[in-house]
Amino acid sequence: MNRAQKIAWSLVIAISLGFILSCIAIAILYVKVGMPRALAGFGFMGIAGLGGFSPLIFRKDTGKVTFDERDKLIKRRAALAGFGASYLFVGLACMIPFSILGPKATMSVIWLPNIFMGTGLSLFFVTSVAILVQYGWTNKGERS
Amino acid sequence: MGSNRLSNNIRRLRFDNGEMTQQQLADKAGVTRQTIIAIESGKYAPSLPLAFKIARTFGKQIEDIFQYEDEDSQSSAAGPDA
Repeated sequence: MNRAQKIAWSLVIAISLGFILSCIAIAILYVKVGMPRALAGFGFMGIAGLGGFSPLIFRKDTGKVTFDERDKLIKRRAALAGFGASYLFVGLACMIPFSILGPKATMSVIWLPNIFMGTGLSLFFVTSVAILVQYGWTNKGERS
Repeated sequence: MGSNRLSNNIRRLRFDNGEMTQQQLADKAGVTRQTIIAIESGKYAPSLPLAFKIARTFGKQIEDIFQYEDEDSQSSAAGPDA
């Protein structure tokens, strides 16, 4: 498993964990305190930020060659998939409230940083998954 | 449009060349070991320059190492009645 795969795994785990815990927290808070305050459960998404430390944790690969044409191709395809996902996220974040609330409704600007955060998370998550899918999820078959 | 596949003899050639390891071939071709693994297993089709590098490592022609197969060539090889 190379460095890119390790970083991708840590990002997928951190983002998934943050998302799952947020959903659980929101569900519990919704029952206990009601809707506007239940959104505080999103605070668990901070766990996803821990994935940002992964490039510091995983050292550069050893060996004569650490990056080649296949890595470059995988990186480019993963970035494209991530960009597509983030574009879709922004599109849905704009169009769903518009469709539900109608053209004359107003929204709090508090949603803007949330959309920004969600866009970033969707970008990193899909890029990481695309990297793992292209390299293969495991080390299976890696032998001399 | 028919499906196509690039097969290769890299594994056999490595063993014919003094049981060369994937890492040794990777170092000679200037790629990572993972790329050699992916090429050997047919999961990745190398670029033309890399195919040349691998061929030169073994002292062979590209055609001796990589074989391109598609549906058209298979059906023509089998003859018109196939």
